[in-house]
Amino acid sequence: MWNSVERTPNSVIQSSSKGRSYQQSYQTLMAASHLCLTRARTSLRLNIKRRAPKLDDFIDKVNPHHLESLMKREWQLSYVTPLYRFRYTQLKSYARQLSAFMAAEKQQGLAVEVGGTLCFSVSFSVVHGLVGTDIDAEAILIEIYSKSLFTSQDECQKTVWTGWLACVNGNPDYINSLPKEFVCLPLFGSSGTEALTALVKLWFQKNFDCCFGLLEISNTSLQWLVALWTNCHTDSNVKQLKMIWTLPVEPLLHVTYAVNPTDAWELWRTIRRDPPQAVEEDDIIHIDEVIRLMKGLLCQFYRHFKVDLSAGSLSHVSTALGTAKCSGKIKISNSKCMSTTLTMLTECALFKMPI
Amino acid sequence: MEDQMRSLLRRLVRRIPSQVLKVTLKKWGRLTAAQQQNIDSTPTKWALTDQLLAISEENGWTVRHVAELEMIYVIDKPNQGMWHTLRLVDPNSDAQTVDLIQFKEQFKSHLSEISRHVSVKMKKNADEAVWIRIAWGDSFSRPNNMKPTYVVHYLQTPYVFVTRLTSKKKPLLYQSLVRATRHRAIKDANLSGQNLSAIRDLLMQHYQQVFPGRYPSPLGERTQITSNPHVDQEQAEEGVKRLQMACEAFGAGKLPQLQSVVYKMETKFKDPKNQRMTQREEPFRCVVTFKSSNILESLRHCAASGIASTPLTPLLSSIPRKGSNYFVVTDNIPRAASQVSQQPN
Repeated sequence: MWNSVERTPNSVIQSSSKGRSYQQSYQTLMAASHLCLTRARTSLRLNIKRRAPKLDDFIDKVNPHHLESLMKREWQLSYVTPLYRFRYTQLKSYARQLSAFMAAEKQQGLAVEVGGTLCFSVSFSVVHGLVGTDIDAEAILIEIYSKSLFTSQDECQKTVWTGWLACVNGNPDYINSLPKEFVCLPLFGSSGTEALTALVKLWFQKNFDCCFGLLEISNTSLQWLVALWTNCHTDSNVKQLKMIWTLPVEPLLHVTYAVNPTDAWELWRTIRRDPPQAVEEDDIIHIDEVIRLMKGLLCQFYRHFKVDLSAGSLSHVSTALGTAKCSGKIKISNSKCMSTTLTMLTECALFKMPI
Repeated sequence: MEDQMRSLLRRLVRRIPSQVLKVTLKKWGRLTAAQQQNIDSTPTKWALTDQLLAISEENGWTVRHVAELEMIYVIDKPNQGMWHTLRLVDPNSDAQTVDLIQFKEQFKSHLSEISRHVSVKMKKNADEAVWIRIAWGDSFSRPNNMKPTYVVHYLQTPYVFVTRLTSKKKPLLYQSLVRATRHRAIKDANLSGQNLSAIRDLLMQHYQQVFPGRYPSPLGERTQITSNPHVDQEQAEEGVKRLQMACEAFGAGKLPQLQSVVYKMETKFKDPKNQRMTQREEPFRCVVTFKSSNILESLRHCAASGIASTPLTPLLSSIPRKGSNYFVVTDNIPRAASQVSQQPN
């Protein structure tokens, strides 16, 4: 009845867990339906276990101004292949080059904004501390300011575009297997007009021989976010757990399932303690628990409406800690969850690498 | 007065697309033939505005004239803004005998009694609906024509549809309606939406109903998809049954375009696999919203395709049966939220 190319009901193929010391994993049906090239270099898989967000993961490590920039916007995510000969010492030069490139493109008639009297200035900066391990490359923040030619020098510039490149807890096998001249910053977030984003990507492609691709957030990752964010409820009130499913009927039906945070937290707590786990496992969340949480929520829904939500796809998750959409848009409103969320997104980005 | 008329006219012209405006002006009939011709031949919006302002001066229009024009536009294109439904309850013995003239007189006089400086316009439409436009004022100011309330009432039915009514003026309107229609009370019917025709059709059941039949009949509009004939054979009977039940619940053919349904759930959590949560005393509170460009058609398709198990749960089939799109569900009986004091926005 519905197009076979569209998302099929989610089913997770699980490998038997052997023990905590093994880093085992699996591939979801969802990922398989998108991009499924066999990788020659590595055998990247998605994790089945994640560390629960700890208190103040990035707060003491990252500059608060940078954290604020990262938290106040909604980002469109892309994955980037490793950058060839990207030098952290040449950031000022890159900023000038990008600015000149944008001016040149504008001369050629590429419309970037309405009103041609604007000129752009660019800044590249390193976001110290936005990493997971020592082998992760430092994150970069790119900001584009616009200034009308008629304003004076000391009038403050308006930020028209912001973007960042990051790698948080990237797979060590993959990173170590890259040749020395490559820098691995697989996660790219952008906030601003499409035209400017395309320009920035084009410049990167020309200078560092990399390529970009849209990073969609899969159903599984969204379910992880449901669990991770609910888990944070005791530390910071999530205010509401809202999930939106899209059912493939004509016309398209969107179901918003908004759960009271205390009740969601109670449900999560019963799942975590069932069977009772050793205390040191407290900060590790297993995919089983995530699946049981989702099953519990869907079962309660089915009990009342007799509608099977898993026939559709989860397209949007939002809490006070952030929002995530399957189209690849994410907003992280709380620095506590930033590390775990970025780790998961880095994993997704590495997973999509064509090589 | 003059200024109010001009600003109201300007706002109206800005709001209405040019083509629609020309047609509405013709319908209104207060322009001379020459003026109408001028208007018809004006291409741009701003020229149109200037022309109309000039004509309004020529013809000596007042605010009442422009309000009349606005009313014609709203009656023609009612599917804007948010409409809320009210229901009159406890009719008096003479409620059935209220006719149009009586209703008009009573309503106007009651409203002017309890509210100073209120300007009321009433018009009966061809489809038996009485349209009322109310511009509210108070002891210190004239009626505000920029934010009028529109009310639609079908005489001899208990339904009233309202848009753009502030909570301050609610009791005044309610009281006047109750008195004029000879009922004892009025309450929120928990059905709201942007599409007035949809909520009206839903309440008055102006769509193709399907009644339970003993023998399942193939309903004409189902489009067959070519697939494996063996699968088809297996699934055919089930499919027809599902479709029949779906149509019984929601109707056949074209359905009213309801756009959202909200369920506020306060039931206990029950899952045989999670005993700890099932034993919890407190309810599992959540709010479920269904949104679509046409909810009833989507739900019908869900039932017909098996995404929703048939027979349909009363929660879903209540939407057309009770004519409501806001429900509070507790563990006793799912009911429309007419008794709940807190009303949704």
